[in-house]
Amino acid sequence: MKESEIAKTEVVNLLNTLIKEYKVFAPVEQNGFITFQEIHSGSEAFLDYINSKKPPKEIFFPQSERLFSYDLSRGEGWGVEEPASEKKQKIIFGIRPCDARSLVLLDNVFDGKLYKDPYYTDKRKNTTIIAIGCNQPSNTCFCTSLGGGPFSQEGSDLILVDIGQKYIIQVVTERGKKLAKKHNEFKEAEDNSLSLMRDTKGTAEALIKSKIEVQKVTKKLDSMFDDPFWDLVSEKCLGCAVCTYLCPTCYCFDITDEVTGQRGERVRTWDSCAFPNFTLQASGVNPRPSSKERLRQRIMHKFDYFVANHGMAACVGCGRCIKECPVNLDIQVVLNSILNH
Amino acid sequence: MNNPYLPLPMRVEKIVLETEDKNIKTFSVKFLNDEDAANFNYLPGQFAQLSVLGEGEAPFGIASSPTQPGELQFTVNKAGVLTTALHNLEEGEIIGLRGPLGNCFPIEALESKDTIIIGGGFAFTTLRSLINYILYQENRSRFGNVVVIYGARSPGLLLYRDELEKWEGRTDLDLHLTVDRAEKDWQKKVGVVPNIVKEIAPSPENAYAVVCGPPIMIKFTLPVLKDLGFPPERIVLSLEMKMKCGIGMCGRCNIGNQYVCKDGPIFTLAQLNELPGEY
Amino acid sequence: MLDTSVAIRDIAKKLLDDKRVDLIIGFEKGSVPLRSTPCFVRSTSEADRLIWNVNCENNLAKYLPKIKERVAIVAKGCDVRSTIGLIKEKQITREQVFIIGIPCKGMIDRRKIEAKLDGKEILEAEEEDDTIILKGHNLKETIKKEEFLHNSCKTCTHRNPVIYDVLIGDKVTEDQAVDEYREVKEFEAQSHDERWQSFSDEVSKCIRCYACRNACPFCYCQECFVDSSQPQWIGKTTNLSNTAIFHIVRAFHIAGRCVDCGACDRACPMGIDLRRLTKKMEMDVKDLFHYEAGISLEDVPPMATFNPDDPQEFIMV
Repeated sequence: MKESEIAKTEVVNLLNTLIKEYKVFAPVEQNGFITFQEIHSGSEAFLDYINSKKPPKEIFFPQSERLFSYDLSRGEGWGVEEPASEKKQKIIFGIRPCDARSLVLLDNVFDGKLYKDPYYTDKRKNTTIIAIGCNQPSNTCFCTSLGGGPFSQEGSDLILVDIGQKYIIQVVTERGKKLAKKHNEFKEAEDNSLSLMRDTKGTAEALIKSKIEVQKVTKKLDSMFDDPFWDLVSEKCLGCAVCTYLCPTCYCFDITDEVTGQRGERVRTWDSCAFPNFTLQASGVNPRPSSKERLRQRIMHKFDYFVANHGMAACVGCGRCIKECPVNLDIQVVLNSILNH
Repeated sequence: MNNPYLPLPMRVEKIVLETEDKNIKTFSVKFLNDEDAANFNYLPGQFAQLSVLGEGEAPFGIASSPTQPGELQFTVNKAGVLTTALHNLEEGEIIGLRGPLGNCFPIEALESKDTIIIGGGFAFTTLRSLINYILYQENRSRFGNVVVIYGARSPGLLLYRDELEKWEGRTDLDLHLTVDRAEKDWQKKVGVVPNIVKEIAPSPENAYAVVCGPPIMIKFTLPVLKDLGFPPERIVLSLEMKMKCGIGMCGRCNIGNQYVCKDGPIFTLAQLNELPGEY
Repeated sequence: MLDTSVAIRDIAKKLLDDKRVDLIIGFEKGSVPLRSTPCFVRSTSEADRLIWNVNCENNLAKYLPKIKERVAIVAKGCDVRSTIGLIKEKQITREQVFIIGIPCKGMIDRRKIEAKLDGKEILEAEEEDDTIILKGHNLKETIKKEEFLHNSCKTCTHRNPVIYDVLIGDKVTEDQAVDEYREVKEFEAQSHDERWQSFSDEVSKCIRCYACRNACPFCYCQECFVDSSQPQWIGKTTNLSNTAIFHIVRAFHIAGRCVDCGACDRACPMGIDLRRLTKKMEMDVKDLFHYEAGISLEDVPPMATFNPDDPQEFIMV
């Protein structure tokens, strides 16, 4: 399909049109950083940003989610109520290609062959993803090492490329095609726009300096489980959950019951393999008793176990963990240490 | 929507106190809805997540055998929040169940072979399911000899004592009970399970060993089985891990790339040897 | 700053050669501009990695509890006060820890710098005596360090280590004139509704990553109250009730022990003003018990003891 283009000045109108029919999520500025929120007017969207603080996984996999509620009588009518499924179609506008890719990765977990998570899949199937490529990747980005890239189309229905005054729109999926056809804000792309796009992409891709051979890391990890390497690497780790909560591909969660008065709820909340209690059994046995075992689990899960189970590393190279780790425990440094070990 | 997180309502029909320390009870539960009962098909080794609404949920091996329809049983050791809540229940109350989950003992592989069942403490629950399955009239002839070695710290801590007595009377099963610490009336073996296995020295020829017990028992039993000549492919273990979702999504119960809730809890030693030693 | 780095390396090598310590905890160069990262040194060759600069913002005393070896710690004023606190709480002995004290004029807050640059990314940062030269795409700017210090550094009254085994560099002048509780008093002057709204807005940003707790040297409990299941004190969800209770209770747990090192504030990825509660606690402890944490190895923390004449208005109203 031919590429189309839209003037940047038209984007607010486009969003306002979309808002009439869809629930639209876009990056907004809040508390000094960028977060994905539902917008009610196109002017709320803030598109001149590197990436959001929290990953947009929270739109599909919220930090706290009610699975069902019930009454506490323990009688036959236990009043279990599932939340109503969301009917309204959604759009995520302005997501970055790394985050769009992360959704495909998460689909492996929540939309599996044997079991499907209806809370996630319900939201996922109703959502159109419109990404905006990265003209200026951050110095902490390493998406190209993970099979992604600043203009990667994986996970998007439409992807926009910023060429200065306009965006070029590239259609990726049928769903994206249908959406693009409905909106006359999209004009056919001019030839010089297309060559500008090629230049923009080239410049952006060259900015990503970090090149890590992740496949070699996976192979190396196979034989490194018992290596004292992990003692040294984990020494400065604080054991907080910053890296896991801000990671677009981390998905560990806890399930607990919370009670208020005569009703209770079973809730799902984000959890982290970095926490000491993550694997603590009621008997007191803990297969991962120190930060060494826990950091090892994080790295091996992302770059070895997930690869074995799903054919891809559980990382999209977005760099959030690098930016936010309180002690600057840089995953790229860890991966390179593994390669050089 | 087909929601794998939604528990099915079960009525607690009967609660039996198993052990003299009062820490272990066996719960017989029944589905409230016949349709749920009809759809619940399990094999020995599998587990289910039991909920006490308002308290939480935890995994328990199914202690009954599918050859005993209408009688779904779980044996619960009181250790934490949920197990304490279960222990405080009265007959007639409603709990939730999600299952059957996990894989089962390799029944097909066990057919026409001898099965050496080795259990310790309160890990005997799913082994009991397996034994009853094999002993079931219509199944028995498909399996070879069955040797059961089951031990507990003291006689009062053995589970299913009524059943054990019945099994002792059977000729199609070789039952050896042992305790770490004998008491006045105890006439049977005294010694830890690994030592009794050594003593009985079951033959590995055309035989599988199925082992369930606390980590320490497993640690000392495996070398005994190795010395007897059991190959890792024919040593079967049932593992335990902290679990939450039970369906391989919450990321917590993995050993390497295998999830104990979904790819297990039954693994052969050969499979475990391929995995990191984190269990 | 270059001299300080060299001096730290020399001391570290000497300590290892003399077998005075088995481990030195310091800082090495970070992996991105404006970051330094904790470094654990056990050999003289590793000692060459040690540096000191205006990005050494972590409180290394965090790593002291549970260390069984003899350890040297590279510590600025606040870190030394935390170490004193940990020694008094018997998490490490005075004999075990060799304090390499560094007089400190403050660490810079990279988030404040990022906010000032309005989205432009810093690709290189060169530290000079009083300034930092920042470079990036379409970016070349020189900033004054003192304008971008962490909030806890701006009100610091103990820049010089209170105790030390060796001091690197000359002592710096203490700021006697600063009103370190000005922000607390401004907050207290607001109405009850204003304060609750402001507090709720702040903690609503919390994602319960526990970076604040894990960065704090005084949060070393085997089982933190948030992880207790029998009884369960707070829920796991991020509703306001659960989150507010976490922060309020943590503030109470470190009352009388917190030295306002700011580690919690710096660790928080969501930019929550955590010092609002902790600074209030510190002020109250001074008012009620005339005690300042981490100054002396001899005095007893007020929450660990009682005096018959402790204030008791809450009982006797």
